[in-house]
Amino acid sequence: MASARGAIERTLAEIGHVLEQSLFAETLSRQPGLLQALDPRVKIVGLLALLVSVSVSRNLWVIGGLYGVALALAVVSRLPVGAFVRRVWLVLPFFTGMVALPALFMTPGPTLWSLPFDWVITRTGALTALFLLTRVGTSVSFALLLIWTTPWNTLLKALSVLRVPDGFILILAMTYRYIALLLGIVDDMFLSRKSRVVGKLSTADERRLLAASAGALLGRSLQLSTEVYLAMQSRGYRGRPRTLDTFAMTARDWAWSFGLVALAAVAMVVGQVGG
Amino acid sequence: MAEPVFALQNVDFAYDSGQMALQDVSLSICPGERIVVLGSNGSGKSTLLKLLDGLYYPTGGELKAFGRALTEAAFADDAFNFAFRRRVGLVFQDTDVQLFNASVFDEVAFAPLQLDLPRADVTARVEAAMRDLRIERLRDRAPHRLSGGEKRRVALASVLSLGPEVWLLDEPTTGLDPRSQSWLVDFICAQGAAGRTVVTATHDLTIVDTIADRVLVFGEDHRLAAAGTPAEILSNSELLLACNLTHEHWHRHPEKPDGHRHLHYHGAPHDHGHERTG
Amino acid sequence: MQTIRNLTRRHWRLLSVYGLGAAWLATTAMHIPDGYLSPITAIILYALVIPFWYRGLQALRTKVNARSIPMIALMAAFSFIIMMFNVPLPGGTTGHAVGATLAAILLGPEIGGLAVSIALIIQALFFGDGGITAIGANCFNMGVVMPYVAWWVYQAIGGTAPLAANRRVVAAAIAGWVAMTAGALITAVEFGVQPMFFTAADGTPLYAPYPLDVAIPAMIIPHMLVASVIEGAVTALVFSYLQRSNQAALQLNGAPATSATQTGPLSYRWLWIGLAVMAIATPLGLLAPGTAWGEWGSDEFADLGLSYVPTGLARLESVWGAPMADYEIGFLGNASAGYVLSALLGIAVVAGLVWLLTAALARRQHPAS
Repeated sequence: MASARGAIERTLAEIGHVLEQSLFAETLSRQPGLLQALDPRVKIVGLLALLVSVSVSRNLWVIGGLYGVALALAVVSRLPVGAFVRRVWLVLPFFTGMVALPALFMTPGPTLWSLPFDWVITRTGALTALFLLTRVGTSVSFALLLIWTTPWNTLLKALSVLRVPDGFILILAMTYRYIALLLGIVDDMFLSRKSRVVGKLSTADERRLLAASAGALLGRSLQLSTEVYLAMQSRGYRGRPRTLDTFAMTARDWAWSFGLVALAAVAMVVGQVGG
Repeated sequence: MAEPVFALQNVDFAYDSGQMALQDVSLSICPGERIVVLGSNGSGKSTLLKLLDGLYYPTGGELKAFGRALTEAAFADDAFNFAFRRRVGLVFQDTDVQLFNASVFDEVAFAPLQLDLPRADVTARVEAAMRDLRIERLRDRAPHRLSGGEKRRVALASVLSLGPEVWLLDEPTTGLDPRSQSWLVDFICAQGAAGRTVVTATHDLTIVDTIADRVLVFGEDHRLAAAGTPAEILSNSELLLACNLTHEHWHRHPEKPDGHRHLHYHGAPHDHGHERTG
Repeated sequence: MQTIRNLTRRHWRLLSVYGLGAAWLATTAMHIPDGYLSPITAIILYALVIPFWYRGLQALRTKVNARSIPMIALMAAFSFIIMMFNVPLPGGTTGHAVGATLAAILLGPEIGGLAVSIALIIQALFFGDGGITAIGANCFNMGVVMPYVAWWVYQAIGGTAPLAANRRVVAAAIAGWVAMTAGALITAVEFGVQPMFFTAADGTPLYAPYPLDVAIPAMIIPHMLVASVIEGAVTALVFSYLQRSNQAALQLNGAPATSATQTGPLSYRWLWIGLAVMAIATPLGLLAPGTAWGEWGSDEFADLGLSYVPTGLARLESVWGAPMADYEIGFLGNASAGYVLSALLGIAVVAGLVWLLTAALARRQHPAS
């Protein structure tokens, strides 16, 4: 039995999607806007604080308010607001929504709404589903703000503000960089194979192709890691990576970091009041 | 005569698998010399450059740089490693190997940072290297998003920021369009004119007479087949044929008075259907 | 209190369709987003995973020394790509593997787990896949539990067989299946404890809403039937490819070099041992709800109004609960019985898969027989 779209096509589509997504984020992050102009360390600390305040809130209104903050930040940063909203709320119902739906009926509590055939939505069930959906949606929005306004290489360097060691940052940087290369290699492997085949690949062929590609990719990765090590050595690397950042905090950066963290702190306190 | 930069005495090199890459190579390279290493793929050109850069060590014979033997033990000494790496820079053939950092700035800053130069000095060197290669506008870009020509410039800048006395270039024209190629040739000439030693491995015959004072030819048996001036080597079509560097249609036009590189060869100027080496 | 005691068969059929869809989604990714786990749980899991990262970095330093950074970066990039591979399943659908088993077998659980963790961190930080506060949890589930379980099972079954032995392919397949199931179980436990500890004053669950006795079967059954099978199959397929074409890659973790000759046809003894291990491993999932029942006591369950939850929608996200309910709802009232049945079916499916795989391998090696 073969699907309308084989596994190879789907993998190719996903690779394309990942490349597109990273290009989209990179393009956005280089455009002018409020968050884009802030020191990346301010953004990491500020947005993480807001993310945590979403996480600890016991109050739906506070979570809603925080989503408002996320939207406002997206607007002043001149992000495409439509895409910002759609990316979260069009995807969410399919995953978290599916997970939350049974909770409407299963969570014991006072009746909120009676449906035909004795189906009952409980108030507690509705609340718990709402908590899950809004919390996930708002969290994803804050994560998107970070990703869409900070070039990945800048974001990485700014991780040092969280005391992430230089070596680990270099590992993350090289991983991201070589993911891009390996994605291109896989893309070529699949496309060249596909172009040599007339018609559809059988499922067994697809599986064999996938295994062979994975195996070949592993070989290439290992070879690259050896070569890259030589290239690092040639330029003086001795196992102790050093990095240089050129970040400089301006008065505006300080003001914003204070503002975002204070906002998060207020939300954390207010959010402890149930509602 | 000045002390040679590199002196090889009966050097052999075999990979762990036992596969021979270089056999019985003896040669020396003087300061300020511009050398081209010619050879078909798999003849050991890349291996030779890695040996000269102290990344591989000879499995037989002796290899000296600046009068000192390049051995694993020598490089275990931080001071020696430090001094050697500052004097010698290798530009890898595959820019995806050479460019492993997250941004162009980091790439160019990598070598000076690893070699423990003061921070202010690092910044100055990086700025100068980026200016020289006209890549300032690429500063924050990720290397993997660049075009082939841009990648090559960044790769050169990443070594230039060290200010090495000796340049080792592995197939630098691979994947370049003609304009970038001629720019690259100018860059190599400028380094040579500044008194640096430049060793270029290539199988691109069209650039040889412009960038070389002396040519070393490696055969498919991994041995040094010939050494001589560009004119001597390029006119020896028998040798070139034997070393799989040309095919029969190839012949050379009479010397041009201006001595500049020109694409007067018949057929495809340099690509003879060879595959890129990995 | 009105609940769903009197559902008709029609409802169950509707629900079974829904459950199937949900199960499919649940199995495509085990990545926990932000918002499912309380901050306390997230912090605990960060605290649990950090020592393993440290251990991984130590292992890296002793095994590959200065080469460690490019090595782990490339392996993490490789893991990232493997997670993107769509694997064809019977019926025309496709699914993803985590690749943690492959990483563990190739690099050992310490370094392999680190590579998977780095791939997960990149996914969370740069692609928004999986939560940022949940990085600790995701790395614990897929970068610690899975590789260690996988390594343990692979070593136990593979034993001292030569690298090229068929037995190792089977070991890889079973290791993948068990590891993925274990990962799903841990994830389910993390979900399941949320409503026990993190509720509003009126008892409204604030994070993942389902208790252990719902979360565990809902997570684990679809995983056993789909995602774990994919993980096992991918691991075995890539492993056998490497046996044929790149044995050096299989010796990265210091496995002894052995003769390159293939061993004879697969001995069925090992297949049965492998299945026995799986049969032992699956009821591990049973212990967790059992404990939960024990701790809570049936009285407490009744107080919470949860006594019929397992009867009804408990299995909403499972493939098996709903269709079986068509025949005998009362039977499913006993969560354990339903779960055991599902586990048995899962084992049967995997047994079939392993059998087909090894039969295919044996045929390829001995075309005459």
